[in-house]
Amino acid sequence: MTVLEKIEKFLMAEVAVDLDKESLQPDEDLLGSGIIDSMTVIKLVLFLEETFGIEVKDEDLVPENFQNLNSMVEYVERNQGNR
Amino acid sequence: MDFELTEEQVAVKKSAVRFAQNELNDEMIERDRDGAFSRKLWLKCADFGVQGAAFPREYGGGDADILSTVLLMEGLGYGCKDSGLLFALNGQMWTVQMPILRFGSDGQKHGYLPKLCSGEWIGAHGMTEPNSGSDAFSLSTTAKLEGDYYILNGTKTFSTNAPVADVFMVFATVDKSKGFMGVTAFIVERGFPGFSVGKDIGKMGLRTAPMAELVLEDCRVPVENRLGKEGNGAAIFEDAIEWERSCILASLLGGMERQLERCIEYAKRRKQFGRPIGKYQSIANKIVDMQVRMETARLVLYKVACMKQAHGKATMDAAIAKLYLSESWIQSCLDAVQIHGGYGYTTEFELERDLRDSVASTLYSGTSEIQRNIIARLLGL
Ligand SMILES: Cc1cc2nc3c(=O)[nH]c(=O)nc-3n(C[C@H](O)[C@H](O)[C@H](O)COP(=O)(O)OP(=O)(O)OC[C@H]3O[C@@H](n4cnc5c(N)ncnc54)[C@H](O)[C@@H]3O)c2cc1C
Repeated sequence: MTVLEKIEKFLMAEVAVDLDKESLQPDEDLLGSGIIDSMTVIKLVLFLEETFGIEVKDEDLVPENFQNLNSMVEYVERNQGNR
Repeated sequence: MDFELTEEQVAVKKSAVRFAQNELNDEMIERDRDGAFSRKLWLKCADFGVQGAAFPREYGGGDADILSTVLLMEGLGYGCKDSGLLFALNGQMWTVQMPILRFGSDGQKHGYLPKLCSGEWIGAHGMTEPNSGSDAFSLSTTAKLEGDYYILNGTKTFSTNAPVADVFMVFATVDKSKGFMGVTAFIVERGFPGFSVGKDIGKMGLRTAPMAELVLEDCRVPVENRLGKEGNGAAIFEDAIEWERSCILASLLGGMERQLERCIEYAKRRKQFGRPIGKYQSIANKIVDMQVRMETARLVLYKVACMKQAHGKATMDAAIAKLYLSESWIQSCLDAVQIHGGYGYTTEFELERDLRDSVASTLYSGTSEIQRNIIARLLGL
């Protein structure tokens, strides 16, 4: 599975009950739509850290990194590169 | 796992108890009745090192580790009858000073922390709004960038310390369409154009900790007073509130210990039907339950302190601690009144004040219902 697929799978499992959809588009706005809210992000951070072996700092919790699946993939890959 | 405190840690708690008993309890009944905040006591606490305890020496702090800070606050909770003062101190330390320390620029840290640690300035926190309480990030205060300034518009409510504060940690959204990641933190000084403090809000307890609305009408905040990046406010708020959840409770634990000792002493001394009331199982059981709650609360609290020291984060445990300690504190206050009978209900016995003060603990820093929601979400529900 690609980074994108893994994150999508996590988000679908996490919020699927509240969503009437089968998948998320790579550029779909996840913040404005409320798919990622302040509670989901706590679990998402744990998931990203455990799955990709990165450290998500509090200062990285900004829209540039979490707006959509594409920005999260970029964030994870940039972080992995920095290790 | 080591349940022993070091000699230094025990000494921290003891000296805090002594300081509080000697310096902080004068005219408590009158100050509570009048809802009077005491700047004199605030400065005494700063001189003793309370506000600076957990902060680096370069900002005038004491550089204490988290457990020592918790023990300091526990000692104050035991020795000081003024829960309002302790609440006000905790509010500033964890929701104003700590975010500046953890997210501030060098200029912000050097500009604000020494004044807050020394007691010269008082800090307040403005997140809650008339229409957004538990759902804090749905706030409607806006911040619009215009040149070198952000223009803030909105109203904050229930801001502890506001009537006497010099600096305010204010949250506003720079972009509603970004949901909770539009929320951004700003350090607002009392003199900034367009900023004012509204009317004092009277309340049931914690009456020595003043509270008011904050009004932002085209309030001009220099760009350099934004704390962290745009959109980072939710993470800053969560971090601060987790500190508050972990440490504000230490004072409640100290209060529980004080009440327990008083109840034991009273139950041995007060006689009815020819025997000390403590010899009646109903009273003894209440006291036993107080002891069990206090000891379990202590374990939960120290665990959070150790986890935060080691990992920085302890979301689940901080929520458990907040939920358990606040509900235990209220129960302990109710038990103390009941054990003292009619005397417990009188102002003179100073137990009814603890009870009134305690009710807020399941409301501030996230209500009990919200703590349960957090725990449920983290359990995958
Ligand atoms: C003494 C005191 C000091 C305070 N100091 C500050 C301060 O300095 N700065 C600041 O910004 N704020 C402060 N607050 C505000 C405090 O954070 C809020 O009161 C609190 O978050 C609850 O918001 P609310 O009062 O609007 O209640 P609401 O959010 O309207 O809640 C009303 C009731 O509904 C319940 N509820 C709401 N949502 C849910 C849900 N999803 N599931 C289950 N139950 C729910 C709540 O638990 C509560 O019982 C203070 C409050 C108090 C009492």
